[in-house]
Amino acid sequence: MDHIGQLTPSGAPGEGPPAAPRITVREASRSFVTTGRSAVHALGPVDLSIGDDEFLCVVGPSGCGKSTLLKIIAGLLAPSAGEVAIEVSGDHRIPIAMVFQDYGIYPWKTVRANVELGLRLSGRPTADRREIVDDWLARLGLTDFADVYPGALSGGMRQRVSIARALAIDPEVLLMDEPFAALDAQLREVLQDELLAIWQARRRTVVFVTHSLEEALLLGDRVVVMSARPGRVIADIHVPFERPRSSAIRTDALFAKLRGELWTSLHSEVVAQFDAGKDRP
Amino acid sequence: MSTVLTRRPGVAELHPVRTRRRWSATKIALGISVPVLFVAVWQLSAVLEWVDPFLYPPPSRLVPGIAALWEDGRLVEATVTSVRRVILGYLLGAVTGLVVGFLMGMSRVLRAAFEPFSWAWYTVPKLALLPIFLTIFGFGDTSVVVLIAMTVYFFVWISVMSAVMAVPTGYREAALMLRANRWEMFRHVLLPAALPEIFVGLRIAAGVSVLMLVGIEFVISDQGLGYLIEQGRTLLLLEQSYVGIVLVAAIGYLFALLVKLVGRLFIRWAADDNAIIPS
Repeated sequence: MDHIGQLTPSGAPGEGPPAAPRITVREASRSFVTTGRSAVHALGPVDLSIGDDEFLCVVGPSGCGKSTLLKIIAGLLAPSAGEVAIEVSGDHRIPIAMVFQDYGIYPWKTVRANVELGLRLSGRPTADRREIVDDWLARLGLTDFADVYPGALSGGMRQRVSIARALAIDPEVLLMDEPFAALDAQLREVLQDELLAIWQARRRTVVFVTHSLEEALLLGDRVVVMSARPGRVIADIHVPFERPRSSAIRTDALFAKLRGELWTSLHSEVVAQFDAGKDRP
Repeated sequence: MSTVLTRRPGVAELHPVRTRRRWSATKIALGISVPVLFVAVWQLSAVLEWVDPFLYPPPSRLVPGIAALWEDGRLVEATVTSVRRVILGYLLGAVTGLVVGFLMGMSRVLRAAFEPFSWAWYTVPKLALLPIFLTIFGFGDTSVVVLIAMTVYFFVWISVMSAVMAVPTGYREAALMLRANRWEMFRHVLLPAALPEIFVGLRIAAGVSVLMLVGIEFVISDQGLGYLIEQGRTLLLLEQSYVGIVLVAAIGYLFALLVKLVGRLFIRWAADDNAIIPS
C-alpha cells in the first residue's frame, strides 16, 4: 500500500478527489470456495473512493480480481468482508448500467430490441422509448442495423449495441468490464474514441476495467493498478491530460512516460500472477 | 520439388444462385429417393421370391389392403382415434413438462426436492403402469392419453430443465443489471435462450409419443392403428399389419416435422444449419 501516491504527479492543482465520492469501497475482499478445495482469496482488501463523474480505470494482471471488484460494485456479487457504498439519486429505476465483454446482448433480440430492453424493463412509455433508442442507434452508427439480429453483426458492432443499451437508460454510474478486449486493435481505437466523445459530452461516473495501459491512460481521469491475486490497489495515479482529449495524446511524450511508470509497477505483479498460475495442478 | 497450391472460385462461387437452387432440388430428391428405393427393393424381393410373400407381403399387396380397410371405414376410424390420442397425450405431457421444467430449472430448492424422485419415476417403463391407469380411468381414450402424456412429460421436463440450467451466467447477469424480476428474466432471457434445446426435446418426445401410442394400443387392443397392426398379426391378415405400420411411420414423420416447423417459427434468430465438414 505504500506505493499509493508515489506515481501521482506532484502538485496537480485542484485535481484532488471530489469532496463527496460517488462510490466508496471500504476494505472489500472476496474469497471463492472451490469444490473440494479450500477457499481462494481472490480480492482485497481494497479501499477506493471514486468521485462523482470521475472516469476511473482499473488495470491489473489477469485473474487479479478486477472483474470481481466490478461485480461487487454492480451488486452481482457480495463482498466476503468489507463494504461498498454507492450514492444514487433514488428516483432512477436502473441507476447502474454495465457493459460486459461478451454475453451482454441477446442474440434472440434485434438490435433495436436489445437497446430498448432496459427502457422497457424500467417501464418507459413506448413513444419515449422509440425516440431514445433511435437517438442512440444514430449516435453509434447502428441505424441501418436496427432490425437485424446480432448474429449477423461483427464483434465491434455488437459492442456498440451493448454500449447503446447501457447508455440508453441514462445511468448514474456506468461499469465497463473489458468491453473492447475481444476486438482487434484498430476497432478498439475507433470505439475508444467514440466512448471518449460520448462521455465528454455527457459525464458520468465510470469504472472501466481493462488490460490495456494505453486504454486506461487515454480514457481515465485516474488509473488504479491492482496487484496479483488477491488483488489490492498498489498504485493510484491521476492522469493529467486535459479534457476534451482525443487519441492524439497517444503520441505525447508524457503519455509514454506514464505508460512506462504504470508498466514498472505492474510488471512484477504480472510475473507473480503468471508464476502462481504455473503451480496450479 | 515444389507444388503450387492455387485457390480459385469454384462452382458455388461462380454461380451462387444456381448452386443453391440445385442443392435444394437435390435435397428433396434424395429425401424422396431413399424411401422409394426401399419400397422397390421390398417389392423386388417378393417378386424374385427371395422371401415368402405370404409371411412378408410386398407393397403391391398393401394397395388392396388399404382399399379394403378404406371401404369398411376402419382405416379412417383407426387413424382418427390414434391421431387424437397421440395429439392430446402429447399436448398434455409437453405443457406439463414445459411448466415443471422451467420451474425446476429456475429454482434450486424445487430441484433439490423433486429431482431424485422424478428421475426414479422416469426410469419406470410407463407400460408397466398401464394396469393402474386402466383401473383408474377404465379402458379407452383417457388411459391411453394419460399414459402418453406421462411418457412425453419426462422427455420434455428433462430437456427443458437442462436447457434452462445451461443458459450462460453472462446472459443472466446482463438482465440482473437491468433489474429484471423473475418473470422478466424468464420472458426475455431464459425462455428464448433455452428454446433451441427445448425444441430438440420436443421433437424427440413427438417420436416417443407415437412409439408409446402403438405400444399401448397393442396391449389394450381396443381401437386405433396399434390395434389394427395387432389384429392383423393374430388373424394372419399381414397386409393389414403392414398398412398400419406404414401409417404409423408416416404419422410419426409428419408429427416430428410439424414440431420442427413450429420451432423454426419461434427461433428465427438462429442459423438452421452451419455445419462444415471436409468434403
